[in-house]
Amino acid sequence: MKAEDDLAANCAHFAMCSRVWYKSSTPSSNTIGLILLKALLSYNYNIKNKDLFVLTYGALVAQLCKDYEKDEDVNKYLDKMGYGIGTRLIEDFLARSCVRRCHSYSEITDIIAQVAFKMYLGITPSVACRNSSRNEFSLILDKNPLVEFVEELPAGRSSLCYCNLLCGIIRGALEMVHLTADVTFLQDRLKGDSVTEIGITFLKKLEEKRYRRKK
Amino acid sequence: MAVCVAVIAKENYPLYIRSVPTESELKFHYMVHTSLDVVDEKISAMGKALVDQRELYLGLLYPTEDYKVYGYVTNSKVKFVMVVDSSNTALRDNEIRSMFRKLHNSYTDVMCNPFYNPGDRIQSRAFDSMVTTMMIQVC
Repeated sequence: MKAEDDLAANCAHFAMCSRVWYKSSTPSSNTIGLILLKALLSYNYNIKNKDLFVLTYGALVAQLCKDYEKDEDVNKYLDKMGYGIGTRLIEDFLARSCVRRCHSYSEITDIIAQVAFKMYLGITPSVACRNSSRNEFSLILDKNPLVEFVEELPAGRSSLCYCNLLCGIIRGALEMVHLTADVTFLQDRLKGDSVTEIGITFLKKLEEKRYRRKK
Repeated sequence: MAVCVAVIAKENYPLYIRSVPTESELKFHYMVHTSLDVVDEKISAMGKALVDQRELYLGLLYPTEDYKVYGYVTNSKVKFVMVVDSSNTALRDNEIRSMFRKLHNSYTDVMCNPFYNPGDRIQSRAFDSMVTTMMIQVC
């Protein structure tokens, strides 16, 4: 079956990449981003394999916590990796979802919540608009598969944004369709809040002619 | 039901040990420690036969006058030991097996936590609450 062949190819690639990662002492964020991208795509193929992505991500965050002492550094690194994944994931998303052109920021946020999240993580967060000028939105996740096995943040890591990768992914994907946005976590269940809330603030649209991809 | 539950690592040190806090807990710790010899004996005895026939549940390890000790070993050589009150005759084998299965499931959840390093003491709250339900169930 094609899906299983793809899955086998993904796992083989994943195994190879993880060996590469293990050998290099300072892995580039690109390599890790590619590994996670493969794991994320394989999550979708076979529902039994959703644990692969969740466990990979968990191992990644745990390793980053060992490498960096400050929570801000870990958060920043996760965001950077997410950015790399987002710039690549958008192609896969647009190819598979065939969404039509959006005319407003609220439409875009709806598509992120109802199509993209559903496709890649299997959940549908709810969307809320945060301000009257309609450029600040929030996604409210009541169920987050990434933190399925994590009970609570370890001691001394209270400002760690465990799912910061998601913020980077959204930011990178939006940038590839010429939209700049600020994406952060407003509330986090792991930190004691009742829900997990991601805030998206759309900034000025990039001009298409002079578009430069930011690193 | 159970008066003492212990999770022992492959290297035979305790990852988690908890007993009903009524009497001297040291006695239970000692019983668990002595039961490790019996567990090793059972594993090595079965090891001569085909490995896939070896069952995870080891059954009654040894009875004392007040207590019975049951054992369970996983494929990664992590042992679960449970001490039960002998006076509780209503307790059957199936129930002990299901208790061990629940323990095993909770243990795998603890292992999947990315912040847990294998070999550390188990401090998970979910695991604690599961063991509490096992201890107070019958009383």
